Amino acid sequence: MENSEHYILFTLAGTTYAVRSGEVQQMDMVEQITPVPNAPPSVEGVVFLRGQVIPAINLRVRFGFPKAPYDLQTRLIVVRRESRVVGLIVDTARDFVMIPAATIQPPPEGIAALSGRYLAGIATVGERLVLILDIAEVINPADIMTTAPESAQIQEEREDEKRR
Amino acid sequence: MSPFPPEDSLMNSFLDDYFAECDEHLTAVRRNILALEASPGGDRAEKGLLDELFRSFHTIKGLSGMVGIKDAERLAHQIESYLGILRSRRAPVTPAGVNTVIAAVNVLEQVIAARRENRPPPTIVTVLEELTALTAVAERSGGREQHEAPPAPATAPPGTAPAPTRAFSAAAPPPAPDSPAPASSATTPTPAPPATAPPPPTLKEEELALLAEARSRGEGLWWCEFVPSRELAARNINVNVIRGRIEERGRLIHAAPRVLPSGGIAFEFLAAMKDGNAPPAAWREDGVACRRYVPEAPPETETAAPSAPSVTAAPAGSPPAAGEEKAAAAATPAGLAPSHIVRVDLSRLDELMRLVGEMVISRARLEEGLRRLEGEAAAARLHPLQETNLAMERQLRDLREAVMRIRLVPVGEIFNRMQFVVRDAARENRKEVRLQLLGQETEIDKLIVERMMDPLLHLVRNAVSHGLEDPEERRARGKDPAGTLTLRAGTAGDLVVMEVEDDGRGLDLEGIAAQARRQQLLKEGESIDEKNVLEILCAPGFSTRAAADLTSGRGVGLAVVRDAVTELGGSLDIVSRPGLGTRFVIRLPLTLAIADALIVAAGDQIYAVPQALVQEVIEISPDRVSVMENNELLPYRGGVLPLVHLRRLFRLTGGESRQLHGLVIGVGLSAVAVAVDRIVGRREIVVRAISDPLLQVPGVSGATELGDGRVVLILDAAGLRSGKR
Repeated sequence: MENSEHYILFTLAGTTYAVRSGEVQQMDMVEQITPVPNAPPSVEGVVFLRGQVIPAINLRVRFGFPKAPYDLQTRLIVVRRESRVVGLIVDTARDFVMIPAATIQPPPEGIAALSGRYLAGIATVGERLVLILDIAEVINPADIMTTAPESAQIQEEREDEKRR
Repeated sequence: MSPFPPEDSLMNSFLDDYFAECDEHLTAVRRNILALEASPGGDRAEKGLLDELFRSFHTIKGLSGMVGIKDAERLAHQIESYLGILRSRRAPVTPAGVNTVIAAVNVLEQVIAARRENRPPPTIVTVLEELTALTAVAERSGGREQHEAPPAPATAPPGTAPAPTRAFSAAAPPPAPDSPAPASSATTPTPAPPATAPPPPTLKEEELALLAEARSRGEGLWWCEFVPSRELAARNINVNVIRGRIEERGRLIHAAPRVLPSGGIAFEFLAAMKDGNAPPAAWREDGVACRRYVPEAPPETETAAPSAPSVTAAPAGSPPAAGEEKAAAAATPAGLAPSHIVRVDLSRLDELMRLVGEMVISRARLEEGLRRLEGEAAAARLHPLQETNLAMERQLRDLREAVMRIRLVPVGEIFNRMQFVVRDAARENRKEVRLQLLGQETEIDKLIVERMMDPLLHLVRNAVSHGLEDPEERRARGKDPAGTLTLRAGTAGDLVVMEVEDDGRGLDLEGIAAQARRQQLLKEGESIDEKNVLEILCAPGFSTRAAADLTSGRGVGLAVVRDAVTELGGSLDIVSRPGLGTRFVIRLPLTLAIADALIVAAGDQIYAVPQALVQEVIEISPDRVSVMENNELLPYRGGVLPLVHLRRLFRLTGGESRQLHGLVIGVGLSAVAVAVDRIVGRREIVVRAISDPLLQVPGVSGATELGDGRVVLILDAAGLRSGKR
């Protein structure tokens, strides 16, 4: 088990993802997110974390899934990358596992299009297929501000709902 | 007529920095030398001490060279060379060596103090020769123990010591003694501390007044000197305890630390005591020596022991026939009184400010809790708590201001540096420039001063190279051939206003407008004025080349200036008078971190607006708003204000109120009214920066918390003003 690392597993729209635990600063319940006007659609808002104001990204919106209401399972995974600290809103955080480096496969070319960019690799944990995230890409500001056409659509649907 | 203020004042401000830094390094040096003396040779701690000492002298050497104090530079250099040998383990640390270094440090201090007080410097010849000899011996010893005193300089190897030494002595104003110090002096370099007869203190005016007052009341004047030591500290006797004791018995007139020639420190007190209250002789057990003080005459009457035990604990064997400079050293230690300046790392102040900020939030929570208790608890019980809460609010405000004041530095610090910039730019561009500095004493947060350095530099350079005309052109226009550049600073409420003004040609608004239309930054029919010219000049698409031609280079980098100002929570404005000049107005918060703010509600959200930005709060009745070409206008003081709806700007949902409130932000032509649904109240907020790139949205400058853990966004005036377009 020399070349293995700890990962935190979480689910989003039925799929299991993994982030390197070294990149995770902490996990929190989701509460009181303040919306930021005119921020990119996937930026749900801001929260305080130890006196620091950090963005909270709705990973469902970021990955083009429909938004889901928060519940008791919803978690904020706070990741740190270089000097940035960003919160990721996920459906639920499940496990803390060790994944041997040797078992991690590169992402298949078939999904290399949009979501493939966020993937660092794929591994099998037990019976489950786990998508390992490339956090740098997931929180890449240029990418967040320019992509996710689906999520914009979702945003509009939400607006419609509110109007009704 | 000289276009520049005398350089002396400039030099003096650098010298102040130099003195402060030297004080700092010499303090470290004294501490480290004493530690070195105490540490047995050869251990690792010693290496660390030597490294630190070496670095200190290296720095002093560099600094002294920069300000042109040659003697200090030479001394520091020689000490550094000697330490370099010790440090590389080519020779061991010896008591004689340490003593010589201490003696050299004392002379070094005097050289620096002499410059500070504009006195003729002491001669450095003797001690320099000792040092050179010591260095030579250490060099040769090659690791052998040095039991003997170093030989007299005369026997030092040629090429090392004597020649340069002579050269230095020629440079020293007081004629150096022709005969070098006797060889024996190297072993006994430290003069005995002048504990028995310290010089009369130099009293400040108010201290002299206190002194006169005490004498008129017939109180006895006592001169006490306390020398702290480790033994005393172990018995919990320190300078504060002694000070307390003195204050118990009378009134303290003067208190100052004094550096002993041995490198130690003594605290001097002058106090007025009633006759029955004379200091008891027992104090001398605690390191305090007292005697009656007779002004304008050396004190003579001794009641306590001549000196406390720790005072006499100086190296034995004081030189009976020390060089003249040493006699001088003993006679003028008062000149070494350290300046009353403490240099503090900014991060420590930030930490302090953060703590104050947390207390402000805790108090807000307390207030919230008290409010909830209203109606539940008996008013009689609640009242004292509410009063305490109010008192705490006041105290926290005072505390916050006190901490802020520590961070303030005079704007003159950067203004002075602009003199070089102006001179260079004037020379480069063949302009004649008269620089006027106004309001240099205006104080502003240290961090803001640092961040404003580059923007100011830019504005000043541009004003000289492009704003001001050539002397010929000016003459042709009937202006003084020498242009005037004015840097002005002043405070207005919670804001500091800095202005860079030239009396040059002003902005070519028409030319800028034409270019902006070509680039579709300005629609046909839209005109250009002071309020939108800055936005056009800063627009990323606006061709800087064209801007350079049209606005005399104003466009270049102006966006950088504006961004730097905005980042600090300030604003940048241009006032241009064609043919008469241009004025850039920078408005900055006096300090960061905590501000008074209006808490407003729009839709289902709450926002904080720094009070300093809000000129006025007005009520908006919908029937008074007129619509003109997609713009809503509001009558205001005989004119109109563009109306910006926060709800629309921020795409907010939630209950809209009929009666809107307007925050008037900005002045003159750039003013707008920002419509909100409700004014919730006024609060003191702790400003937190928003740094993540995902959160850089217009109209938001930071965030705060009102006590419930929820983030409240702070609105930013510049962003809101541009939102009207």
